[in-house]
Amino acid sequence: MIQFLQVGKSFSAGRIALDDVSFHLERGEFAFLSGASGAGKTTLLKLIYREIEPSAGQILVNGRNVASIPRSKIPFLRRTIGVVFQNFRLISRKTVLENVSYLPRILGMGQQERKRLAYNTLRRVGLAHRMSAFPNELSGGEQQRVTIARALINRPEILIADEPTGNLDPELSWEILRLFLEINGKGTTVLLATHEHSYVDALGGRSLALDRGRLVADDHVEGHVGDLESDSIEEAEVLPQPPGERTV
Amino acid sequence: MLVRIFGYFLAEAAVSLRRGWKVSLVAIVIIAMSLFIGGTFLLLTSNLSRVVESWRGEARIVIYLSSDEVARLDSEVLQIASAPAWVSGVEEISAAEARSRFETTFPSVRELFKNWEEEPLPPSLEVAIEIEGVGEDDLDDWLISLRSDPAVVMVDDDRDWLRQLEALIAILTGLGAVIGLVLLTAAIFTIASVIRLTAYLYRDEIEVMRLVGATELYIRGPFYVEGVIQGLLGGLLAIAGLYGGYLILNPQASTTFLGNVLVDRFLSPEALLSLLLLGSLAGLFGAVLSLRREELGQ
Repeated sequence: MIQFLQVGKSFSAGRIALDDVSFHLERGEFAFLSGASGAGKTTLLKLIYREIEPSAGQILVNGRNVASIPRSKIPFLRRTIGVVFQNFRLISRKTVLENVSYLPRILGMGQQERKRLAYNTLRRVGLAHRMSAFPNELSGGEQQRVTIARALINRPEILIADEPTGNLDPELSWEILRLFLEINGKGTTVLLATHEHSYVDALGGRSLALDRGRLVADDHVEGHVGDLESDSIEEAEVLPQPPGERTV
Repeated sequence: MLVRIFGYFLAEAAVSLRRGWKVSLVAIVIIAMSLFIGGTFLLLTSNLSRVVESWRGEARIVIYLSSDEVARLDSEVLQIASAPAWVSGVEEISAAEARSRFETTFPSVRELFKNWEEEPLPPSLEVAIEIEGVGEDDLDDWLISLRSDPAVVMVDDDRDWLRQLEALIAILTGLGAVIGLVLLTAAIFTIASVIRLTAYLYRDEIEVMRLVGATELYIRGPFYVEGVIQGLLGGLLAIAGLYGGYLILNPQASTTFLGNVLVDRFLSPEALLSLLLLGSLAGLFGAVLSLRREELGQ
């Protein structure tokens, strides 16, 4: 599904963001991409949806070399990949419904059809009742759910998330993580970047670790919480708290 | 599908215009001013051209003669004058009749000739010609033969001053085009600045749109439509101004010569459509100019 072959990325100032990174993420897999700030996580994710181009190596998404896609075709690649950002990146002047149904709109879907689709997607993330609200009327957790709904609306085969819990408090973070597991449970390949090792340790699964641009680990970690998907939020709260205090 | 896409562009452009109505208004007013000035020249020159065209159809050649005697029907001059097929009529004006006409046309100076023993004005032949059917060379040859006749004092060719009027129209048209073009260029840059500012305000949104898979057409389309709307509104405002001016000045068309020449008729529907089209194109061009790749953070 996603394959990195000796990928390198350096920026104009000569700073090397990624160096000789290779891995293969299978269809339907859930993987954490961990590493400290500046390790290259965001760069790696940006390479997948072609916000930036690699300096070396090849990136295959669904068997297609992302770097060779012409500029005019990039939007079509991005429509197959759902992206969730740490800072939500919602359009503030549009309602939740409009934010979520933006992609169906530009795909030419009719108003009723896209409204129904947006409603169903928002219901999936538990926000159907906030369709008419504007982003600034929502809590951080709710905004992140809207972002996830927006990423899911076109039923992408791949969902990538860049520090999706970075701006959320611990309780909301676990809630969002559970959502990602649910999404993955329905067959979507998920690559989730985080600098919180506690999530990886607690949930387990495939773990790709970056350190100063190099892939230093590609392991399968045994989690010590079990199936979070079936757990309640209250149960999730007994999990080890991620280090540091975060507020919405 | 296309209707939906255009509907989307229109809706987004309307929102943008509403949000930034003050700067949009500046762009609209500037484009309206440029089109108003260009349109004023167009209005004046179109009326003037129409009048000149009608005069051209009535163009006459006046042959001034040395005495009444040579104006008789059997005179050689009359034969030369009426010979060509394109001469539609020859009217003999005697010296007395010429004086009478002068006194009727200029009553304030009729006393001028009161004590003159001889007729002050020469007799003449007024030759009406079907201007459409005449070759310039034929007409010139004909005039040369008339001028060379000893009985002819002078030949007055209406085409001379019609040519001068046409030159004046050409100058006015050129002047209007230059002034309009300069102002339109200013309007294009104003629209470009307004849209660049709007795009800057929306840069976060544009980035999000791009990340979720919007094509460049979807990102730029609303801005293009916004430019066209600004140009169109500017054009409409200019036409409203021109029509207002026309309504004020038109009553003078029937009472004064200048009014009749300059504001007898309003602009034709084609001219009005051209103004709207020009405004829209200026708006579109301004938008295209403002949305180069580097402006959109690509």
